[in-house]
Amino acid sequence: MNFILEGFRKGVILLFGLDSGVLAVLKLSLYISILATFIAVCIGVPLGSIIAIKRFPLKKIIIALINTGMGLPPVVVGLFAVLFLSRNGPLGFLQWLYTPKGMVLAQVIIATPIITGLSLAAVQSVDQRFYQQILALGATTRQSIWVLLKEIRLSVLAAVIAGFGSIISEVGAVMMVGGNIKGQTRVLTTATVLEAHMGNFDIAIALGLILLTMSFIVNLALTFIQQSKDRQK
Amino acid sequence: MIKIENLKLNFSGRLNLLVDNLSIEGGRIFTIIGPNGAGKTTLLNIIALFQKPDNGSIQIWGKDILKLRDKLNFRRNISFVFSQPYLFNETVYNNVVLPLRLRGMRDTGAVDEMLDLFKIGHLKMNMAATLSQGEKHRVALARAFVTRPKLILLDEPFLSLDARFKRLLINELRRIIKLSKATVIFVTQDQFEALALCDTMAVMVNGKILQHSGPEDIFARPGSKEVADFVGIETIVEGLICKKEGNLCFIKVKDKILEAVSEYSEGDEVFICIRPEDVVVSLPDRQAGKRMDTNSARNHFNAIIINIEPWRLEYKLSLDCGFNLVAFVTAQSVKNLDLRIGREIIASFKATAVHLIRRGSQNDTI
Repeated sequence: MNFILEGFRKGVILLFGLDSGVLAVLKLSLYISILATFIAVCIGVPLGSIIAIKRFPLKKIIIALINTGMGLPPVVVGLFAVLFLSRNGPLGFLQWLYTPKGMVLAQVIIATPIITGLSLAAVQSVDQRFYQQILALGATTRQSIWVLLKEIRLSVLAAVIAGFGSIISEVGAVMMVGGNIKGQTRVLTTATVLEAHMGNFDIAIALGLILLTMSFIVNLALTFIQQSKDRQK
Repeated sequence: MIKIENLKLNFSGRLNLLVDNLSIEGGRIFTIIGPNGAGKTTLLNIIALFQKPDNGSIQIWGKDILKLRDKLNFRRNISFVFSQPYLFNETVYNNVVLPLRLRGMRDTGAVDEMLDLFKIGHLKMNMAATLSQGEKHRVALARAFVTRPKLILLDEPFLSLDARFKRLLINELRRIIKLSKATVIFVTQDQFEALALCDTMAVMVNGKILQHSGPEDIFARPGSKEVADFVGIETIVEGLICKKEGNLCFIKVKDKILEAVSEYSEGDEVFICIRPEDVVVSLPDRQAGKRMDTNSARNHFNAIIINIEPWRLEYKLSLDCGFNLVAFVTAQSVKNLDLRIGREIIASFKATAVHLIRRGSQNDTI
């Protein structure tokens, strides 16, 4: 029990001591996850909206595939990303294996179905009267989509929170694609696993606390935006 | 001026809409009444280019809109208010200003003007979701008028409003429409709404315009049995004009003779339409043993009350006087005359209160 408490004590010191190594890991984690979330939002929100609005063959099967993708095991994503990005793989020419770019790619693959699926559900939940009303008001297609996105902004924000949450906390894919190289591809989750394996529980606890704190701050910010809109109702 | 010709729409093998010829004068309120499923909303959807007819033309501002490639530009010159308007999850102001923004126009006071006209200025910064049903309808109407459209389509915009509020809103709307000088096509199934908000009127049943004229004509002189039925004429019976003296027709109905003022000829088979409010009920004079013609009405019939039911603020009497006749009486009359089922009474109505429709022109059998 003592070693746990000692670990927490040292963790707090590390956390507030602004250790340069820890800060580097923190910055890389944020960079990768925020960039991956941004890309996933750019793909997922329009894709989900189009799938929800348009009628086309195999629509239900595609929705089922997206729903399956919302629960993709990160380690499987990591495995396929490694296979594709390895020197002999189809994307080997990119030379992204064991780089932050490869890690962003893996996280985009994890977050995109989540954001697509939640956006799709949000658009499908919009009252059918919306579409005729917006056309009757004289909107172009582009204006209609913009007004629609504003209409479902709270749900889109929830999708962003879910997407970010799923990738900031995952370890399997970034470990396999990034390789946990110190100073290059080491992020909070992979560093925590490594330090715990090495018996450095104080550092592992510190990293874990930082991860939790960071995740909390980002989600708090998003939640504040979401709830401030909601409060006006 | 709007001119609709040979407009036809079949849906699932069934005739949905057939409008041979309809002209709507510019700057006026044209009201279409008809029962549910008559095709009223379909016609509005076609005019707003939401639905495509099988054939026909609609000339608006000198162009056949059904051949327009630029639907957007046309839609930006009209407004459409739905029976269940959709308000965006924004403030009242943002809802009303949206049509201006979509057209790239700035709000130079038009929104405030509309909010004031529809008496919702105090709700300007409220979220639409917090409004009552009546307030939502006002916002939808303000949004429809803010761009000063030349043509406004109103699809039962008062459907879910209570009677008192509806009356107030209709009065205000009539004033605002007259100020805007827009052409308005208003569809409803409610006769009272229709009468309160119309310059000219058409009755639509089963996808067809059955009558198109002034509201007084439609309600007092329906052109067909279907129209008579829809505008609330409770008594519609078949008869034969057996004699004529000037404009006064003597019509045989079963073994009774009715008198009516009409231009139809002797030998014509007609539907006899009598509005329930035109029938007067009195008690027979038992001492004299015969009825007393104490008023100027030319039609008097001994009748038996076969049913009494409350009807709005009055009572509806179903009478058997050799043919079925319906009369409205006040609660006071029911009490004073002791009206009850089985009671013998005298039903009277004027010859001018009888409207005749020639039979055989349409599917008009009873």
